[in-house]
Amino acid sequence: MKNPYLPMPARIEQLVVETTDGNLKTFVLRFLRDEDRRVFDFVPGQFAEVGIFGKGEAAFGIASSPLETGRVAFTVNRVPGGVVTNALHNARVGDIVGVRGPLGNGFPLKAMEGHDIVVIGGGFAFTTLRSLVAYVLHPQNRGRFGRLQVVYGAREPGLLLYKEELEAWQKREDIELTLTVDRCSIADRWTGCVGVVPKIVEEIGPDAAHAYAVVCGPPVMIRFTLPVLDRLGFPPERVLLSLEMRMKCGIGTCGRCNIGHKYVCKDGPVFTLSDLNKLPAEY
Amino acid sequence: MIIAKDDLPTFLDGLLGTYQVFVPLADGGESRYVPLAPGGTFTWQGVNTRKPPKEILFPQSEVLYSYEVGGDRVELREHFDKTKRVVFGIRPCDARSFLHLDRVFLEQEHQDPYYRERRENAVMVGMACLEPASTCFCTSLGGGPFAADGLDLLFIDLGDRYLVRRVTPRGEALLREQPALFRPAGEADRLAAREAEEKAKSLMSPIPDLSGVKPWLDAGFGDPLWDRVYEKCIGCAVCTYLCPTCHCFDLTDEAEENQCVSGVRIRTWDTCAFPLFTLHASGHNPRPTGKERFRQRVMHKFRYFVENWGEAACVGCGRCIINCPVNLDIREVLREIMARAAGAGVSA
Amino acid sequence: MSKQEELRATARRLLAENRVDLILGYTAGTLPLRTTPFFARTPAEADLLVWNAFCEYNLTNYLPRYTGNRVGIVVKGCDARSLVGLLQQNQVQRERLYVIGIPCAGVVDRRRVALLAGGAEITAADITGGEIVVRGRGFEKVLPMEEVLFPSCRRCRYGNPVLADVVLGEKVPERKETYEDLAALENMPAVEREAYFAREMAKCIRCYACREVCPMCFCKQCFVDGTAPQWLSRWVGTADNLFFHLGRTMHLVGRCVDCGACARACPVGVDLMAFNRKMIKDAEALFGYRAGLDPEAHLLLGTFDPNDPEPFLFRG
Repeated sequence: MKNPYLPMPARIEQLVVETTDGNLKTFVLRFLRDEDRRVFDFVPGQFAEVGIFGKGEAAFGIASSPLETGRVAFTVNRVPGGVVTNALHNARVGDIVGVRGPLGNGFPLKAMEGHDIVVIGGGFAFTTLRSLVAYVLHPQNRGRFGRLQVVYGAREPGLLLYKEELEAWQKREDIELTLTVDRCSIADRWTGCVGVVPKIVEEIGPDAAHAYAVVCGPPVMIRFTLPVLDRLGFPPERVLLSLEMRMKCGIGTCGRCNIGHKYVCKDGPVFTLSDLNKLPAEY
Repeated sequence: MIIAKDDLPTFLDGLLGTYQVFVPLADGGESRYVPLAPGGTFTWQGVNTRKPPKEILFPQSEVLYSYEVGGDRVELREHFDKTKRVVFGIRPCDARSFLHLDRVFLEQEHQDPYYRERRENAVMVGMACLEPASTCFCTSLGGGPFAADGLDLLFIDLGDRYLVRRVTPRGEALLREQPALFRPAGEADRLAAREAEEKAKSLMSPIPDLSGVKPWLDAGFGDPLWDRVYEKCIGCAVCTYLCPTCHCFDLTDEAEENQCVSGVRIRTWDTCAFPLFTLHASGHNPRPTGKERFRQRVMHKFRYFVENWGEAACVGCGRCIINCPVNLDIREVLREIMARAAGAGVSA
Repeated sequence: MSKQEELRATARRLLAENRVDLILGYTAGTLPLRTTPFFARTPAEADLLVWNAFCEYNLTNYLPRYTGNRVGIVVKGCDARSLVGLLQQNQVQRERLYVIGIPCAGVVDRRRVALLAGGAEITAADITGGEIVVRGRGFEKVLPMEEVLFPSCRRCRYGNPVLADVVLGEKVPERKETYEDLAALENMPAVEREAYFAREMAKCIRCYACREVCPMCFCKQCFVDGTAPQWLSRWVGTADNLFFHLGRTMHLVGRCVDCGACARACPVGVDLMAFNRKMIKDAEALFGYRAGLDPEAHLLLGTFDPNDPEPFLFRG
């Protein structure tokens, strides 16, 4: 049986500096071994432990779509004092990293099929949402979902991730993308909205009748978005959240990422709001 | 089966050819399970050793794999421990803890191969407790001084001889390796064993009824109890490291010569008592103070583990009671919970 | 009135008159030979306070948690010296404290009692006069108190608190402080001494009880917990354990007051006092410094005197 602690070696094939502050980089990885490519069969919303040998590993949401075969992408926020994120940011194209995964449950795609999807993201938490949107937009899948509305915000225009892709999405008819920033200057030539994500969501007022809301972002954004979704009529069973916790093993044994009796690494990281409401508020 | 006490050294010595044999050993006021040297034997008189036998299956520090990064490739080498072992003299509470560890390491979607290799290669031989300590409360948690859960064989001390209960085929096979040392037990032996068991049970200290603990904890996350009950806790790892059921760990890399070219990934015990355990890289900590961390320990043992596995993650061995540097007694915490449960009208 | 009665009366009064928010003291423990730290917040709770030779904890360790409260605290001689250290290092505010000093003739060394009692479980222990009577299943043993006191207590010069707002009961006689306990180790050939420490360090399980129970270990982040750089491996073994304990010892030079809390907290009986005592001895021999006597004094390692001896320069 497979050893879940053994990383699969992967090469950094491409590096994209995503934000103007340089603190977010996307790593496009290719597994060295063919069998690992097959094993790494994931759904949007899952994550992996990505590590630099000798420095350790950390959990990152998978930013690529499962349909981009052979390659897998992670967007890493460099945390001051963070050993792994700094080591990753210092890595170069061609370097070898270790990947353990896919881990976690991912978004409940089967349940979401036939529904409208409202994606609400803030800051660098947009990674697994990018995976989800790319998955839904894929010609194989697009027909299985209803309307696709995306609200994505960042503090300022330079901090939005995946800019090229956002541009491409804006030109499409099968996705309604709204970008917003908290603030911008004239030099930004910003043509999107200005305002915090919860406010924009409220203005757009997505129809909750047959929709799933998927929310990923900083705690403050989540705190103010949830009441908006409640007012719009989203039942907690159709509000999905992806949680972050300190993790080590990724398979529910090392004991640190639990919320109540659930482990974020194996029972999550995606939870419905109704699931979360039943758990202690300790996250 | 029956084995004469005088024959025990022969039995243990006879195992050494095939197995590494662990026995409990007292060493200057401290005690733990140590490998038996040829000619050595079982002399342990106490109830529970300071350190539980958990470390034989789940060592405090272990190498999971070594790595070597070279240009185009990475060599990874797994470090499995396939040593055949007999652990002799295990108390029933500690034996029961193996079942809890099995759940965490073997009965989930991903099995832990390091634990599995050690577990599958270990024969567990228990020793019934004739005189439980005043801190023992195994019977409150589904165990008992003569319980055989988690064991392959159970030895019962009958003075000049041991009655050996065969619990699993693996245990039975161990006896068959040296058949000359064992004879079938007679009715008198069985009667003596039953009497010893009754006596041992009668020596157990009065035991709190814990049936209301889980229902109270289900609703008690925000109770003011937690504001005070943790207060004297100093936040060390004594209770968790010496607990036979605590299984939390850390994974870290050890690079050789501070280069990333080669090194090892290690697993070491970790504990919910330390703030670092849950500290996010961002600086956020979901369990920022001793209150949340102490609550996590109690909740995990008596609520979350019950929810996931149907039983509390406590076997009543008493080690956390005896060894807490400030005498924070888990029985007192449970009693306080029971008192509140009674007051709140919560029942099982 | 016994010291315990005096203590309860004092605590009751302080709480009733709302002069403090809580009293840090001791109450009855759940095991023989033990008391347990207690946080009394009402006059009724004050009646649960106890004072006896089982009050082994150094309660000043808890003070930095209560900087927002007015705290009454029970201190023995050694604890009072820790308090002086905390004041010197600005970890507590004097004006928020009411210090109840209790002259102390020494606390019982549980480990030693267990050893002398033969290792069987002790289920009851009573102190009567100069003796301690311990009982278990089928045995009773009477031991002279002086023999079962914690080693630091047997040579303690400062049983009478150096700092207190009120002192309860009679003063205790000053003992003579010697460093005879170190002689055996100091006279050992280096190889044997190394082997001794290796054996001690091999026992350590790095539960950090010694650190967590020490009033002087108040660092927000301990050097062993850092990750960038990671000074200490998470591996628990002789070498890494020694690194931790030596680091801790060095960090306690001129601050450790020989209260022994670390050694009593250690679940596996590591000889922690050997390190601490050596540093205490050297601090006194080389610099004439004793920790925890004067809140106004500078710390040993925080002062420079051109006349300081510098033996490390030529001893290498």
